[in-house]
Amino acid sequence: MSTDVNLEQEGVEVKKSACYFCHQNCGVLAHVKDNKVLKIEGDPDFPTNQGGLCCRGNIALKHLDHPERVNYPLKRVGKRGEGKWQQIPWDQAIAEIASRLSGIRSRFGAEAVATAGGTQRTDDWARRRFMNLFGSPNGFHNAHLCWIPTFMVETAIYGWCPFDLDLGASRCIVLWGQNPGASGMPEAHHITDLQEKGLKVIVIDPRFTETAAKADLWLPLRPGSDLALALSWLHVIIYEGLWDQQFVDEHCEGFAELVEHVEPFSPEWAAPLTWLTPEQIRAGAHMYATNKPGNIQWGTSVDQIGRPAGATMHARALLRALTGNLDCPGADLLTGPSQDYLTDEELEGNQYLPEEQKAKQIGSDKFKLVSWPGYSKICELTKKTWGKVPTAEWMCEAHPPSVFRAIASGDPYPVKALLISATNPLASYGETDVVLEALRSVEFMVACDYWITPSAMFADYIMPIAGALERPIITNSYGCADFMLTSQRAIQPMYERRNDFNFWRDLGTALGQTDEQWPWKTVEEAYFSAIKPIGYDVESFDEFVERYRFHFPEREYFKYKRQGFATPSGKVELYSSTLKELGLPPLPEYVGPSENEIDHPELAAKFPLVLTTGGGFMPFHHSEHFQVKDLRFLRHSPFMDINPETAVELGIEDGDWVWIETARGRMKQRANLTSGIHPKVIFTQRCWWYPEKDMRDIPLGGQLGGALESNGNILTCTQDDYCDPYSGTWANRGLLCRVYKVEEAELKEVI
Amino acid sequence: MSAKHQTWGWMLAVDFFFAGMGGAMLVIAGLADLFVGRDSVSLLGSVVGPLAMCVGCGFLILELGRPLQAWRVFMNPKAILTFGAWMMTFAIIFGFIFASFAIDFSLFFWRDSALLRHLVAILMVVTGLIVATYPGVLLARHKGRPFWVGPGIMGLFLLSSLVTAFAAHYLCGLIVAPRNVPYLWEAMPYVLGALLFAQGLLWCGYLWIKLSGTSKSEAASAKRWISGDQSQQFKLAFLFFGTVAPLILTLIPLTMAAAMAAVLALFGGVTMRLLTVNSGNDRTMIPGEAIYRSRLPKGHEKFLGKAWL
Amino acid sequence: MARYAIVMDTRRCIGCHSCTVACKVHNELPTEMVYNPVVSDGPHGTFPNLSMRFLPLICMHCENSPCVDACPTGASIQREDGIVYVEDKKCVGCLSCVMACPYGARYMNHETGAVNKCNLCMDRVDQGLVPHCVATCHQKARIFGDLDDPTSEVNRLINENNGVQLLGELGTEPHIYYIG
Ligand SMILES: Nc1nc2c(c(=O)[nH]1)N[C@H]1C(S)=C(S)[C@@H](COP(=O)(O)OP(=O)(O)OC[C@H]3O[C@@H](n4cnc5c(=O)[nH]c(N)nc54)[C@H](O)[C@@H]3O)O[C@H]1N2
Ligand SMILES: Nc1nc2c(c(=O)[nH]1)N[C@H]1C(S)=C(S)[C@@H](COP(=O)(O)OP(=O)(O)OC[C@H]3O[C@@H](n4cnc5c(=O)[nH]c(N)nc54)[C@H](O)[C@@H]3O)O[C@H]1N2
Ligand code: SF4
Ligand code: SF4
Ligand code: SF4
Ligand code: SF4
Ligand code: SF4
Ligand SMILES: [Mo]
Repeated sequence: MSTDVNLEQEGVEVKKSACYFCHQNCGVLAHVKDNKVLKIEGDPDFPTNQGGLCCRGNIALKHLDHPERVNYPLKRVGKRGEGKWQQIPWDQAIAEIASRLSGIRSRFGAEAVATAGGTQRTDDWARRRFMNLFGSPNGFHNAHLCWIPTFMVETAIYGWCPFDLDLGASRCIVLWGQNPGASGMPEAHHITDLQEKGLKVIVIDPRFTETAAKADLWLPLRPGSDLALALSWLHVIIYEGLWDQQFVDEHCEGFAELVEHVEPFSPEWAAPLTWLTPEQIRAGAHMYATNKPGNIQWGTSVDQIGRPAGATMHARALLRALTGNLDCPGADLLTGPSQDYLTDEELEGNQYLPEEQKAKQIGSDKFKLVSWPGYSKICELTKKTWGKVPTAEWMCEAHPPSVFRAIASGDPYPVKALLISATNPLASYGETDVVLEALRSVEFMVACDYWITPSAMFADYIMPIAGALERPIITNSYGCADFMLTSQRAIQPMYERRNDFNFWRDLGTALGQTDEQWPWKTVEEAYFSAIKPIGYDVESFDEFVERYRFHFPEREYFKYKRQGFATPSGKVELYSSTLKELGLPPLPEYVGPSENEIDHPELAAKFPLVLTTGGGFMPFHHSEHFQVKDLRFLRHSPFMDINPETAVELGIEDGDWVWIETARGRMKQRANLTSGIHPKVIFTQRCWWYPEKDMRDIPLGGQLGGALESNGNILTCTQDDYCDPYSGTWANRGLLCRVYKVEEAELKEVI
Repeated sequence: MSAKHQTWGWMLAVDFFFAGMGGAMLVIAGLADLFVGRDSVSLLGSVVGPLAMCVGCGFLILELGRPLQAWRVFMNPKAILTFGAWMMTFAIIFGFIFASFAIDFSLFFWRDSALLRHLVAILMVVTGLIVATYPGVLLARHKGRPFWVGPGIMGLFLLSSLVTAFAAHYLCGLIVAPRNVPYLWEAMPYVLGALLFAQGLLWCGYLWIKLSGTSKSEAASAKRWISGDQSQQFKLAFLFFGTVAPLILTLIPLTMAAAMAAVLALFGGVTMRLLTVNSGNDRTMIPGEAIYRSRLPKGHEKFLGKAWL
Repeated sequence: MARYAIVMDTRRCIGCHSCTVACKVHNELPTEMVYNPVVSDGPHGTFPNLSMRFLPLICMHCENSPCVDACPTGASIQREDGIVYVEDKKCVGCLSCVMACPYGARYMNHETGAVNKCNLCMDRVDQGLVPHCVATCHQKARIFGDLDDPTSEVNRLINENNGVQLLGELGTEPHIYYIG
């Protein structure tokens, strides 16, 4: 029953395109004729996926022309949240949005316009450019949950952040709250390859994951207790003499302070906090410190544990430094920004944003590191050493929960417009109730998306966005890598879809931003200007993709020997002067998990189980792809993990619908009984909604696409005192909850 | 969409019932003719035998995904089903021919040839026996179906075919009395009783063997009958009403009681096949497969109804 | 003549279902039809002493294929290279093969009334390509090759790692091997 189309026919071209259903950006070969994609397949020459594609990659053609896609600009004609839309031309939508925004700017100031993004999916630098030219500092993403704080903490300590693993020569990798087996598949096979050659794999994860099942050592810690583990590893490495003496002597500052600081954090101290044995803790520290060179791979978990997040990143960074696993062959590399091509930061136009507007960035008074105060400081340092600075979009953001609260309350000042692009905040941001209140009450809202998501239901305009096959792509890790992988568009956008870049540029132009300020008409032009400095003999971006596609600069190890680290002292600052200046602890101080039995005994009496919400699972990407039948068929309903022992106590059987409840509220998922989780831990899936349900808002008689039924973020917490004082990231993992069966009567029409 | 009906359903069970009963009725009729004498079973019984098989075929055809193409089942001589289909066809033909010997109709010029009658009887006994046995043989060969696999099921099916055939012949004789030698007919309830006794015993034995049997999945399949979802029907409908009750009734020397026993025995036969077919749909699963399949949509889920790709 | 086989490397498989989806999408299967489910064998044990692996299932393309033997119409066919497939127009949907298959690899297509199954992407194989599910596996956990070629990767993997067949005791002689 093979329905393969004839690709030999005349006029079929093969385009080097990509998948962007997650930011791995796997290489795709698209067979195209007459601006129609006939077939896609994984590109065997692409370094990461090597011809493979995951579930989502395979459904690209179903996504491309799915009947539920938004193909034309939609203007709200009914009540907000009622789902009545009128189709209007792109230019009309742009003109109307521009006039609303300029009205708001003149009444309340440019800062009254905020934009929200999700994870990296598209040309976000263009959004920043728009905001800078418009004059608002209030752009943000939920990337607070996703590497950004890690980047800034590590950069404060040693001047850049490793994400480029030099695995080839590595002897040990620590997957810290990371599960490439479900979240980073194209990369997982590299680990397996190397494991066959003797690489040691340590997995730090409360769940027995796809990855943990193949690890040499699995450390199932209490969710949110990563800080205690990291501190005790520091203790073991120092007090058992495992540190790299030469590296520390020559390239680090503040060792004496650190030695004294970690003295109390013995494995015996950490054991009751992490629910690991002192032996397990020591085994991990030894494995990492003695199998050198080694890597600690970033995982989202630590960014998502809330209050202790920053300190944990901080302690983890010190582990690398103490063991000398920095910028040497086989260890974590400090590549610095690209010296060869224009970085995203150089495309963002940060010079356009006036200082007094920067000062108004919401949350920057409370959480300094990932907002203008910390970012400016980091920029000074990196500029001196690297000549360039990190991307502002992502690394310098308004504090998301504070903006949502400002929308609803007008405090610290009115925020009247919200543009959401490439995100579904009701599903993916913390504390859904807070987001919902903001979306219901904001004066003006625009959504740029592929679908009408529950969040987009509240928009005044929904803009149809072109997908990965319809636009060119540069992959370079939030604009902070020194390499780049590129892809070309397979076809011109279908219907009246446009690229995100075009949305921001068109909107800017309609608001009086000039052609000089937007010197590129297409994404290809912009990207060509970015790659031009590298000096390839190409005339266009497309030609670059076709002929070269990748740019990997020659790798230089031990750059710190030549130029020092990008810190005030030029050394790794074990005792961080940068953090200290920002009013943050110069050494990682112990803070308990955002909610825990020890600091919050009363809460723990009511909510006796420990909750962690989220972790990638196949075949979905956060809140996406629930509409794609072939994917949905494989997992049509949400599942939470619970240990069989606990389930028996609670009278829960496999497959039962259960309520999971925290102090914020409750939602329901089905029980997956598995011994792969501690009896006291509950793991829920995260961003569920049900696109098949009535999309109208609940007070209008609808179900809001089921966005409040099984959504893990109903349980999470974004109050200031749950947020990490370094970055402001909030608490998804390491909370307290209780679980009980859903009554039969409440069950009708769940799925 | 329907994730259901991926395995044999009730129509096949009913086919097995009619085919088994019909086949065994031919065997009884033929043997009676050969060893007891002409017309020693009821004419109605002789007609009902092949007719039952026709009805069985009807159900079989309805069970097919493409009923109109049913003729194709004759095409693979190596397949037991093809063999069964041919045998059933022959058995039906021989059955009707045999019945014609008992009909006073002048055009049936052959009816007086004893040789011919004996020949047809022999062919009918052979093909009838095959038809009565082959569903059991078919099931017994299913290596991945823990409840069926093994020779035991053949014996049970053959036995049940005989039970139901005796019951049917008895009932037919009640309506249209056999012309000759009614003592055979009168003896039928006792034979039926004996067979029912064996049926009860063998079923218990069968379940016991499965339960303590070679594989976990066999044990699990037997548990469904003993304490699981099939246990109610098995114990009440089949063991009590379909076996023990008729067995007791056959001990009562009243025509009414024997007739009731026969009806109940037929009921038991249908029940047994429904349960057996249903239970055999359980396959020995690969580790992890059962939970995987149990979590796929059942067919009523709302998202399936959307006109999505 | 070739004898085609797939080796499933359970050391590499991460249970991502990409193969399942690739097959469904590229072969345009009805939603409810899954030729190659990937099941998780485990976790076994009690926390935290556990083990788990993933088993990608598929039609085993049995050398002694009970499904072919059971098919009364001759619609179920085994090619010389071992590929077992259904010739759609001959199938009457009697489900004999479905019942006979010990691996649950056959499905009634309720739209057509016929039974469908994995045909090892024989159109692709005949063109010298690997099956869709093999091509898409970014973990390289599915290795396609020829058992009759003594130098093939599949033979090497089977020999070096004591490849096993699922439900081998049934004597169906699958062409799909599992290692790891
Ligand atoms: N299938 C799929 N893949 C994805 C995505 C997706 O949505 N779906 N999203 C993409 C995105 S945006 C990202 S950022 C990456 C993220 O990918 P990863 O960095 O791998 O992060 P997660 O999968 O979110 O979580 C990793 C693991 O953290 C564990 N965990 C939970 N709580 C804790 C804790 O308190 N401490 C520790 N140490 N571990 C904990 C979870 O059990 C989980 O297995 O995945 C990307 N890939
Ligand atoms: N509780 C809990 N919450 C979490 C997490 C968790 O583990 N637990 N993980 C967090 C993490 S790591 C992340 S990165 C976030 C992700 O948060 P989001 O990025 O908000 O998550 P998605 O569901 O992927 O939403 C993306 C939306 O963007 C649309 N989209 C995709 N591509 C494009 C594009 O190119 N342009 C435009 N305009 N739209 C596009 C999609 O259709 C979809 O509606 O969620 C976070 N939220
Ligand atoms: S891993 Fe999957 S979703 Fe992510 S880019 Fe690759 S194919 Fe696309
Ligand atoms: S695609 Fe490969 S790794 Fe993924 S489930 Fe299939 S066989 Fe396993
Ligand atoms: S796995 Fe099943 S369908 Fe495939 S060849 Fe073997 S018996 Fe036939
Ligand atoms: S369902 Fe089709 S392929 Fe299967 S045995 Fe019957 S006729 Fe043959
Ligand atoms: S070989 Fe082809 S038909 Fe068979 S499971 Fe793989 S993709 Fe599907
Ligand atoms: Mo993320």
